Formats: sequence, C-alpha cells, structure tokens
Amino acid sequence: MSADLHALTAAIYLTASVLATLGLALRRAAFSRTAVAVLAAGAVVHAIAFFESPAFALPPRNAGLPGAADLAAWLGTVVFLGLVRRARLHALAVLVAPAAFLGVFVGSFALDPASLAAREQAPAWAHAHVLLASAGFALLGVAGAAGLLYLAQHRSLKRKTRLGQRALLPPLEALDRVNAFTVSVGFLLLSLALVTGVLWTHATTGALWPRSPHANAALVAWAIYAALVGARFLARQGAAWSARSAAAGFAFLVLAVAGVGVWR
Amino acid sequence: MNIVLLGMNHRTAPLALREHYAVDDPGPPLAKLVDRDVVAEAVLLSTCNRVEALVWTARPEVARLRLRSFFERELAQGAPPDAGVALGESLYELTGGEAVRHLFRVAASIDSMVLGEPQILGQVKDAYRAAVEAGACGSILTRLYQHAFATAKRVRNETRIAERPVSVARVAAELAAEIFETLEDKAALLVGAGDMIELALETMREAGLSRVRIANRTRARAESLASRFDGTAHGLDELPGLLGTSDVVLTCIGGHAPILAREHVERALRGRPLRPLLVLDLGVPRNVDPSVDELDGVYLHDVDDLGRVAEANAEERRREKILAEAIVLEECQRFDGWLAALAAVPTIRDLRDRAERIRAREVERAAGRLEAAGVPREALDALTRSLVNKLLHAPVARLRAQEDREQGLATLEAARALFALDGDEADEDAAEDGEA
Repeated sequence: MSADLHALTAAIYLTASVLATLGLALRRAAFSRTAVAVLAAGAVVHAIAFFESPAFALPPRNAGLPGAADLAAWLGTVVFLGLVRRARLHALAVLVAPAAFLGVFVGSFALDPASLAAREQAPAWAHAHVLLASAGFALLGVAGAAGLLYLAQHRSLKRKTRLGQRALLPPLEALDRVNAFTVSVGFLLLSLALVTGVLWTHATTGALWPRSPHANAALVAWAIYAALVGARFLARQGAAWSARSAAAGFAFLVLAVAGVGVWR
Repeated sequence: MNIVLLGMNHRTAPLALREHYAVDDPGPPLAKLVDRDVVAEAVLLSTCNRVEALVWTARPEVARLRLRSFFERELAQGAPPDAGVALGESLYELTGGEAVRHLFRVAASIDSMVLGEPQILGQVKDAYRAAVEAGACGSILTRLYQHAFATAKRVRNETRIAERPVSVARVAAELAAEIFETLEDKAALLVGAGDMIELALETMREAGLSRVRIANRTRARAESLASRFDGTAHGLDELPGLLGTSDVVLTCIGGHAPILAREHVERALRGRPLRPLLVLDLGVPRNVDPSVDELDGVYLHDVDDLGRVAEANAEERRREKILAEAIVLEECQRFDGWLAALAAVPTIRDLRDRAERIRAREVERAAGRLEAAGVPREALDALTRSLVNKLLHAPVARLRAQEDREQGLATLEAARALFALDGDEADEDAAEDGEA
C-alpha cells in the first residue's frame, strides 16, 4: 500500500513539475498556480505514505540517505507551500516540484527489507540527526531554488530583456525574503544536525568525530554556510550575491551529503 | 425587425465634434428615442472616444432617419451652427449583422483607440444598465448585450490582447511589480513635475504606491502636484538625502547634465538597508548617469527601454487582434442563429395551430363511431395529441436549431410552403376534406 502511495506521490510531483515548467515556458501564470495546487495534493499523499509505511514512520527510523532524501522532499514541499501562501512565489514550483520528485525517487530505494531491518537497530540520536538534517537540507534547498530564480530575474532586469512580464517570475523582494528566511533557519537546523551527528557517533563508537568522507564534507558545507550567513547578516552582503551564495552553497551541500555518500 | 446602429468615434470625428454629442446621463434622451412604432428598444453608448446609438426596430429605414434626427436634435449640446455638416460626414450607419459585429468588437476592445484597453467593457455595461433603468431595453437587446459581454470575456480569456501594458507609465508600474512584492509600503521619489511624471504617478498610485516625495526646480509646481497626490514637495538640493530613503525613483526633468550621478546613488546605497532601488529615467536627455545601472541592487531603465517594451507589447496585441476577430465572427454567427430561431416562433405557432385544428376536426368526426364502440373521448384526445406532438417534434426542433440566418430563413419558407401555412384557412380545410 505504502509503495503504491509512494509511487503515486512521485507521479503527482512529476505532474506538478511539468505544469510549472509549462507555466514558465508558455508564460501562463494559471499553469504555475495549478502546479502549486498539484504539489499540495502531492504533499498530502506523501504524508499519508509516511504514516502507512514502517520505512517512513515518524519519528524517522531511517538513518540512510534515501529515507532522508524522501523526508527532505516532503519537508521542502511543505515549507514552500507555507511560503507561497504569503507571497507571489508560484513560479518557484518550477524548481521545488522536480526536487521533490527527485527526493521521492531516491527515497524509493529505502523500501527494501534489508535496509528496513538495519534501521530498526539505529540509536535515538540517529533519528534526531536524520530529522534535523532532512529539514535543514529541505530549507537550504528552497533557499538555493529561490536564489536561482532571483538570479534569473535579476539578470533579466539588468539586461532589460523580457521586461514587463508580470507574474512570470516572483518579484525580487519576495525571493530575497525567502532566501533570508530559509538560509537562516536552514543553517540553524544544519548546525543541530551536525551536533546530533556527533552525539550519534559518540553513542555508537565512543569517538567524537566519525572521520568519514560524508561527515568531513558535511562539516565543510556547514562552515561554508556559516560564512554565507555571516556575510549576509553581519557584513551586509547584497541580495544578488546572497542569491549566488545560496545556490552555490546548496550545490556543495548536495555534493557533500549525497554525492560523497553515493560515491564513497 | 432589424438592428440599426448610428454613431461616431475617434476615427470618424475629431474630439472638438465628439465633445458636443457626449451624454452624461443616457436615460432622458433614450426615453425620447424609444416608441412603439419605430424604435422598440435602444441603448446609447457615450465615452470619450465614441457616441453610438443602437436600436431594435420594425422599420429600419424610418429608424435610420429617426436616429440622425436624434443626434441632431437631442444629443447636440452647444454645437456650433455649422456642426450639422460635420456631423453628417462623421456618422457611420450599420445594420443587421454588421451592427452586431461592431458592438461585439467595441465590447471586446478591438475597436478601441488603445487596442485591448479594459475600460470599454465597463462603459458598454454601464450603457446597457442605463438603458434597462430607462425602460429602453427589452428582451432582444438584453440578449444582444449579454452576448456582447460573453464575447468580450472570451476574447480576454482566449487571447493576449489585454495581457501586456502598452503605455510607458504602465510598463513602469509592471516593472516595479517584478521587483517589489507590493508598492504599499514603498517610498517614491519623483524628480520633475511635468505631465509625464504626473501620468506615471497616477499609474503608480493605482498600483498601490503610498509615500510620494516630489522634487523639482520650481518648488511651487512640486507643491501643487504634491498636494494633489498627498505627497511632500522638495527642492533639487534635497535629492541626496531623499535618495537614501526611496525605493522607486522616477525622473523626467529638463537639462543636459545628469541630475543623479553615480556617486550620489553609491552614497545613498551605503546609508540605506539592503533592498532594491528601481530608477526610471524618463527624461530626454537622460537625467541619470547610465553607469548607475552597474551598481548591485540598482535597476535603471530609461525611456527607450520602457518604450521598446511598450511597442513590443503593442505589436503582440496587434497580432492577437486576428484571433480576437475570429472569436467575434464566431459569436456573431451564434447570435444570428438565435435571431433566426426567434424568427421561427410565428411559423412554429402556425404549424401547431394548424395541426391542432386538423386533430380536433378529425376527432370530432370519429368520436360518434368510436364512443359507440366503447372508446372513451379522453383516450381518443390523448392518443391524437400524442400522435400530433410526436409528428411535429422533429420539424419544430429543426426550425428552432438554425445557426445560420440565411439558411434558417430558407428553411422557414420551405416549412411554410410544405405545411401550407400561408393559404386561406377555409380553402386548406376544404382541400384536406377533398383529399380525405
């Protein structure tokens, strides 16, 4: 049942991706709005899939990357849906929906019985680490998406191309606000994920630092985000540079958390 | 019965003439226009670009003369004595399908001075409402105007004719919407106090802009404009200070040297919170140093940038006009079909009357014999009525469902001939008795 719901969620997110892409390509705001509605339906089905499945039961028993990606996809979608209610951000669905689809797709690898059995043995810190890391990843993902759209809009305004096409992309001010909010909260969650990761390592091995490529890369990603947050809030970095930083920071985070995990 | 339209618009009459025939309240003149003999229903549309009277009449030729006289006597207000000649040359006259098409084009804003402008539909609706309130609008024009509103809605939904702004002021407002979520909490600085600034300010106000500061060389002119828009007036020497607290800067002032140099803007950016600054330079020669656009967080657009967008949008509207015309034609055909179906009503009534007469007579003839055989009269009536209804169902439905007016009239003529609806009643009945 859960596998079916999971597949249904992926299909709904994919539909939202297609609609959001059509909305931007055909310059039809109605498509973007529909994409957000479809994404909301996907988030509901996704939540039901969590409750239906032992693999995704909350709090998360899954310490692996696929489960974390799945959880991050749902959390990111929920954060986006919360933000879109407050500002004209529908076009952001063009990045959020495919990311959610990708997260669910990766999450489908968490459904095999061997993985489930291994995860049952994970300690409590592991659950907290996965929950916090997934939430932080999701928020920083939304920040990266907002950053990319900010740069697209900024570039279009500076080059004076496609001017006056209201509702095609969200206004710069809204994108910058999303960026500031998601980067600051995402960084906080990432920091807590790092702390719980250390506690998890200490509980299982007695060591303070796991010295794995994943942990080292995650620490570097955290340091990069610390610099970005400092530049943004303490050194008065401009909005365009903050957008570039958020997009680049998330690219590095994906590499650090997922890339190193996959290719190690 | 037919539809007749007489009017003048921005293409046929200059403003100097149109303004003499403009009407504030169409009620009283409409009351004089409508009567039982010639003009059954009428609507009068008066906007700054057109004055048009549209009527539903049983006598189109007389209605035309009546409408001309209506313009000359009822609508002319303070027109010069020689205005009659100019009026004759400026009026256009349309009848039937052409008048319907014209109304649909007007409502859909295809006939407007600015293609796709949104106000005209509201003005047509107001004209229709005024006619209804004056008791000048009956079922035919109500149907016609409802159809016109639906056509305008279709054009708006199915084409991009009204999607993009075509004036520099509107493009500027749309541009602000690409940068700011709302203008309600933003502060604007306007440098200059000419017509362009005023127009842009009106548009920005409509878009929600609240705080306005106007700086000008002549402070009195700035004060006059500021008082109208609930803003504050300043001299040009205050510009550096005002710049730091502004989100939108709009300049259109004379002079060859830029009013805003790069250093001014750089200094202002250092002293303000991190938020974008939109600078719209509508001046010729330019009022803002072009290198200001290189600064992070500053978006500078000059009159050429905005004009290019306005022209591209106007071109897109012109392209969409072809699609809009196709929709109008389609809807005209539909309305024509409805009128043709309306023309079928007397024929359908005659057909039913004739069938009922025959049925009643035949029942009367057979009643004596059948009642003797024990068949009740009620059963005989029910049976024959049912037969007649079933036989007439298909031809009546066909008569009602005509979509093309010409074809519909031909079908009506054929039906009247086939069922002998135009002959003398006694002769027909005698002939039927003979055949029997």
